[in-house]
Amino acid sequence: MNCQTLDTELTPYLDGELVEEARVAVEAHLASCATCARRVEVERHNLSVVRLAAQQGPRAPQALRDSVFAAVRADASKARRMRAFKVSSMAAGVAFVVFLGNHQYRAHQFRLYEQDAALRHSRQFPLEMRQPGPEEIEAWFGGKLDHRVNVPRFPHATAAGARLLQVRDKQAAYIRYDSPRPMGLFVFGDDHDVDVGSEPMVGSSLGYNVVSWREGDVVYQLVTDLDEHDLRELVPGAHGTQAAPLDDVRPGTPLHSTPAVEARPASLQR
Amino acid sequence: MLGFKTKSAADRAAFEAQVSPWLDTLYASAVRLTRNDRNAEDLVQDTVMRAWRFFDKFEQGTNFRAWLFKILTNTFINSYRRTTREKSLQDESERQSVEAQFFSSDVTDRAQNPEDYLLDRVMSEDVLKAIDGLPIDFRMVVILADVQEFTYREIADILDVPVGTVMSRLFRGRKQLQKTLLARENTETSPLIDLNAFRERKKLG
Ligand SMILES: [Zn+2]
Repeated sequence: MNCQTLDTELTPYLDGELVEEARVAVEAHLASCATCARRVEVERHNLSVVRLAAQQGPRAPQALRDSVFAAVRADASKARRMRAFKVSSMAAGVAFVVFLGNHQYRAHQFRLYEQDAALRHSRQFPLEMRQPGPEEIEAWFGGKLDHRVNVPRFPHATAAGARLLQVRDKQAAYIRYDSPRPMGLFVFGDDHDVDVGSEPMVGSSLGYNVVSWREGDVVYQLVTDLDEHDLRELVPGAHGTQAAPLDDVRPGTPLHSTPAVEARPASLQR
Repeated sequence: MLGFKTKSAADRAAFEAQVSPWLDTLYASAVRLTRNDRNAEDLVQDTVMRAWRFFDKFEQGTNFRAWLFKILTNTFINSYRRTTREKSLQDESERQSVEAQFFSSDVTDRAQNPEDYLLDRVMSEDVLKAIDGLPIDFRMVVILADVQEFTYREIADILDVPVGTVMSRLFRGRKQLQKTLLARENTETSPLIDLNAFRERKKLG
């Protein structure tokens, strides 16, 4: 320890952040060096003056306090109403199913997931992390969702980053790609509420193509303005894509008319 | 089977009880971050709503205050900074520069003069104004360390940066803060502060 090396230790020393050994070394130097001892005294004084003054910040206005919790209450009761609605529509489900037919009902539900994914992608919410690597993105989502997030390795696409977003009632991982075209990939856990299988299906909503597929209890939805030709480029070997018209009840059409393992995103190949 | 989790009324009550004690400090920090009361209120509102939505993800028994501040800073970084157009140090090859500046001459040449002693009567308002003048990345660590008194480890977790980065930003942020405050004292009071005269005044006063 000398006057030079004290520089790097001074901040953590004053904050009580040095390990015992380092603290003892600093104090030994201070005991033998009047210049540094004086300097530490000044720094300690200044820090305490700043801290004391800085902590005289404003208090939350009462109106804010009220409105913050009012918003939470409104959100909570909305969620309860939705749950009640879900349960009662389950009970009334028989009539609904008879009216629409179970298949059509599930197809309709699936369309709502497509639409919501397209809508949220179009809103361009700010990203919470900005790194292109699939590993970094997977690591960033670690622990944030109930399921592990596997980022598909699209050979020709580069990610811009990621954030958390909802798709309807599902908390989803959202990965945005900037090239070759802007795309958004939603990944969310789903216990078969969403009517999609492991075979990618392409539908369209709000002017986007939405490719959906499932991997066990995880659903993937890729929202893109790529046309069928470019989708085939992105997912090599894909053929026979056909975007469903917007008003079509069918949730989507198979992206691959015949299952081709190599044609799928890498995440599906494991 | 519905795959749809909702929080109970008891969850909401627990949430309010846990957030309530920290609203003042959240707000005080939000004002420093946004430098604007109106935006600070929006930031706190968004933060609390996000905390509520993610409340079931919070691991009870862990550091709730740090968790709240992580949401606060993330929310701020994501939405408010883009409107205020403040640049992050991280964008500017911080990695090389931080270490270099940590050890650079502007650090080592400052043998402390008695004139560097901040007056005890320094106005809180001046300190707050000086904090507001710091670049965003320095401002965040100064707020978290000196206003909220989080540890380096907690700040590193909140901002998702290494502890070494926290330390160097804090070092440089505080240094800049002192410089501003000292310059202010020197212009406000007679040209150069005479420490002895000051001590005399203090004795008399
Ligand atoms: Zn020394």
